[in-house]
Amino acid sequence: MATTTTAPSTDAPGSSSGGVPAAGPKGSSLPTARYTLAQMRRSAGRLTAAGIAILIGTAFVAVTLLAGNVITRATYDTIAARYADADVLVTTSGTDWRQDVEAIRGTDGVAAADAVRSAYLNLGDGSVFAYAEGIARPQDSRLMALDLTAGKWPSERGEIAVPDGLAERLHVGIGDETQVYRWVTTDPETGDGEEVTEDVRVVGITQDPYNAYASSGGAVVATPADIDEWADDPVPGGTFEIAALLEPSALSGGEPTPAVRDALDAAVVSGGKHSVKTVDEHAQQVSAERTGGEDLVFLVFVLTFAAVALLVAGLVIANTFQVLVAQRTRTLALLRCVGAGRGQLYRSVLLEAAVLGVLASLGGVLLGVLLAQTALFVAPRFDLGVPLPAAVSITPQVVLIPLAVGTVVTVVAALAPARNATRVAPLAALRPAETLSVRRGAGRVRAVLSALATIGGFALVGLGVYFGTTGEVQLGLAATVLGGAVSLVGVIVGTVFWLPKVAAFLGALVSRTGPASRLAAANTLRNPRRTSATATALLIGVTLIMTMTTGAAAARETADDTLDETFPVDIMVMPGAGEVPPSAAGTVDGVDGVTDVAEVYAADAELPGGEYLYLQGADLEDLRATVHDEHALDNLAPGTILLTQDDMENLGVAAGDTLEVTGTGSAVPLTVAETSNMGLSDVVTLTDLRKVDPEATFAAVWAALDPAADPATLLADVQDAMSDQGVFVTGPAAQRAQFEQVINVMLGIVVGLLAVAVVIAVIGVANTLSLSVIERRRESATLRAIGLSKSQLRGMLAVEGMLIAGVGAVLGIALGLLYGWTGALTALSVMGDVTLAVPWLDLGVVLVVAVVAGLIASVAPARSALQASPVEALAAE
Amino acid sequence: MDTTVYVPVDGTRAVRARDLTKTYGSGEAVVHALAGVDVDFAAGEFTAIMGPSGSGKSTLMHLLAGLDTATSGQAFVGTTDVTGLNDGALTKLRRDRVGFVFQQFNLLPMFTAEQNITLPVELAGGTVDRQWFGTLVETLGLTERLTHRPAEMSGGQQQRVAIARALIAQPDVVFADEPTGNLDSRSGAEVLSFLRRSVRELGRTIIMVTHDPAAAAYADRVVLLADGRIAGDITDPTPESALAGLDALRTLEPDVSTGTTPAVPGAGA
Repeated sequence: MATTTTAPSTDAPGSSSGGVPAAGPKGSSLPTARYTLAQMRRSAGRLTAAGIAILIGTAFVAVTLLAGNVITRATYDTIAARYADADVLVTTSGTDWRQDVEAIRGTDGVAAADAVRSAYLNLGDGSVFAYAEGIARPQDSRLMALDLTAGKWPSERGEIAVPDGLAERLHVGIGDETQVYRWVTTDPETGDGEEVTEDVRVVGITQDPYNAYASSGGAVVATPADIDEWADDPVPGGTFEIAALLEPSALSGGEPTPAVRDALDAAVVSGGKHSVKTVDEHAQQVSAERTGGEDLVFLVFVLTFAAVALLVAGLVIANTFQVLVAQRTRTLALLRCVGAGRGQLYRSVLLEAAVLGVLASLGGVLLGVLLAQTALFVAPRFDLGVPLPAAVSITPQVVLIPLAVGTVVTVVAALAPARNATRVAPLAALRPAETLSVRRGAGRVRAVLSALATIGGFALVGLGVYFGTTGEVQLGLAATVLGGAVSLVGVIVGTVFWLPKVAAFLGALVSRTGPASRLAAANTLRNPRRTSATATALLIGVTLIMTMTTGAAAARETADDTLDETFPVDIMVMPGAGEVPPSAAGTVDGVDGVTDVAEVYAADAELPGGEYLYLQGADLEDLRATVHDEHALDNLAPGTILLTQDDMENLGVAAGDTLEVTGTGSAVPLTVAETSNMGLSDVVTLTDLRKVDPEATFAAVWAALDPAADPATLLADVQDAMSDQGVFVTGPAAQRAQFEQVINVMLGIVVGLLAVAVVIAVIGVANTLSLSVIERRRESATLRAIGLSKSQLRGMLAVEGMLIAGVGAVLGIALGLLYGWTGALTALSVMGDVTLAVPWLDLGVVLVVAVVAGLIASVAPARSALQASPVEALAAE
Repeated sequence: MDTTVYVPVDGTRAVRARDLTKTYGSGEAVVHALAGVDVDFAAGEFTAIMGPSGSGKSTLMHLLAGLDTATSGQAFVGTTDVTGLNDGALTKLRRDRVGFVFQQFNLLPMFTAEQNITLPVELAGGTVDRQWFGTLVETLGLTERLTHRPAEMSGGQQQRVAIARALIAQPDVVFADEPTGNLDSRSGAEVLSFLRRSVRELGRTIIMVTHDPAAAAYADRVVLLADGRIAGDITDPTPESALAGLDALRTLEPDVSTGTTPAVPGAGA
């Protein structure tokens, strides 16, 4: 079994076989390589964990790139699916496209061709409506992307085939009648026109197996004649697409032969610009136009998180090599004694890193491909509504980019340890192992750099918060993000100075719990640099996750406050497709959990300055009962109009002024009264509203809910009660739920992506513990000999793991709160007063996960430590 | 030379071995590290186990202390058969009844001398007997060193701390494996006289493995081992008598080891 102390006999061949040369430090690199590989074999176990860190990081990159490919492919396929089996698209801008279609049909090698025409339709029967794309039934069914599942294809005017989903929504089946509404422009100058209603009959039900029309909500098939009538003719210069299916003879290798291309090009007779493309070429072109670089944004977004993961992996690698070099001090010194040059040792360590990097990255790419393929395999079981390719497409980038990035990160991470290796004095070989000291702590340059970056970064964050609170959100965010990044770098660089102190504090706390804990605390502190590096790797992920959850919590709280100001009541029933019926108040009041309702009437009114107001009025007592913001109504009295400070400024009036409001009758003087709630601006009493407009219409129902009930459930109940009225039911609960969902989804994605960095950091903790266990083999044996039980040894390592992870987590949480709050102040101040909350639940989860991860990280090292029999303590060197 | 290998059992025997055998390998390649050893060690006595390299002296100690498992036979600490104990019971035995002194000192580098000394008691969850601690520290001359860490002490001082650590739990027996192997002769002599004082003044029992006749001379009795068998027993040894005993083994070696391999792999110290 390899121990940490040297085994000169194993190493000697490497150094003697070659080369330790008269040429001195400039000797050939071959013996170095041979020595390096021998050394790697000896340290295989120790390098594995470090390799896994890189492997996960590169797998992340590979999966991201593969996902990018899949998205591109799916976009292509969706676009191409519309053209069914067509091979070629002829695009023409001529107005005489019917002639072109005929000409193309007559071209040699063309099996079928049809114009691709569509019209946007509004279908419905007065109570239910749906928008859909209408497409013309092609002559040849091979050019049709939809499948008929029942009935027949439309063959006469007034017949349509609808997708199954749409049929369900419209409550129609085969043989049923429905209407098509469309707007016919009668005067192109003014845009005036009229709505035309036509009766249509459903003759077929379709399915869209390739999701060709998923993006437009399904396609309604009609005869070409109907579509021609329903479609707005394109503006002059617009283009038509003609899809053509070619005979097998006209294709070579799936591509149209040049002769056919030329013939098609020549067939276009209508003049103007025209082009001949394969469907694939077209899809590529359209997807590039359509996404407008969105897939690039996706790649950059996800790759940012991959970069964080790789940074953490780099820290784990650096730490591992630092420890390996320290453990090999004697071997390195021995090599120096027998003539190895500094350069050779330096190159040897870097070569080791490069080999590790390449192997781990290859593994990462493989894992990435496997994961992506598994995801594609599983994805169709969830109805995503997007056609996904069956297999990942492995492009050179997918392999080469992760490989290069992983290798470079590994080698760069090994630079400092490699330099340390060159500093080993030959004399170290002659000293007893016990006195070989670990390299002293960090230098002054590091301290200064760290302090500068930390202080400067936080100053920048402060500046960002200032800008944010004074309305300059863009500038503020830029400063806060930049400052946050710079200060985080400063903090990371400086952890070695202050993290051990925090570890000492936490260690002192845990060491009261027993001798094993006391040993663990002492072990954690015996190598502050190593502990710092390990905890820092975890700190990064925890800080970022905590920043996000704190920001999200602040956003939630702030949104709640803002929503309360926007919505004066718990539920509002407002006109939707139809007016609110007079019976609505009674219906809403009848819903269990609704405590009070107010009938709100509305009227348009004019001010002397020409401004229009939409006045809302209700019985004062009803308003008091339904409005939950109690002071917002304080100033409302007969003869007053409520306005917010903002609205008063816009109208150039102040509280107490008299406003002459004119409705249908004569002007009514109303006294301006202030309200803090935006939703209550322009509210008057019902009596005053009637004075302004005796015909004021019933406009809305406001309702208050039982505070003990769940507002989201009650909102759904009210929506159900009003479902057939064509009205719009909303309230802060709905908005809040929507907002929560957006925040939660975004938070989930970001935390999920950051979790990779945390996993890598936990592997780092396990790795550090393993290396420490190897280093302390004799010590573990001694402890066992003087009475440390197996479970105590296990407990000791568990506490060590939890302590390292806990330190990283505690500091990460503190930093994350700071960043989350400053970020929220910067970004959210425009929405109103920002509420800074501590997301206790998330905080607790993060801490528990980190500590448990530390515990799990200690399992494997503990198993290896337990293999040390007490006899080893007695063994001589 | 008294070559008695069997000492009748009575209450004063701290450690006993009965037909203790340890073999490595099997069949043709079988190697006897210990070939049926019967030996008793008296309580309150300082015994040295001596023998050439490969004689099995370290194996004997490992088996007596319950650090290794015997192939057959029994080893007793007091009346407890250590060959039949599981790991938990062995851990308890090492905590309460057995102490160790190592050639490499094996102090924990992050703890002070005092913390190192009291560690076994703490591991056992007990409280340190301050009076006994004071006695030990004074006897071993460590009063001035208690706040020092191992790196700040000389080898001799470290070994004295290790002795105090071995004795803090007042064990039935202390096993010392080449305790002077890593020390210069002056520090070695100092450590040996401390071991002897622990026996004579503090009433402890110490079994020491050594190959150094000068070290063995500090003991009350020397048990000689050769080729896995007891090969001699010297009471009140002097450096000369110990050396003579060892030399006698060497000259006898060709005869004694007829037909067996000269050295026993895996059993060297």
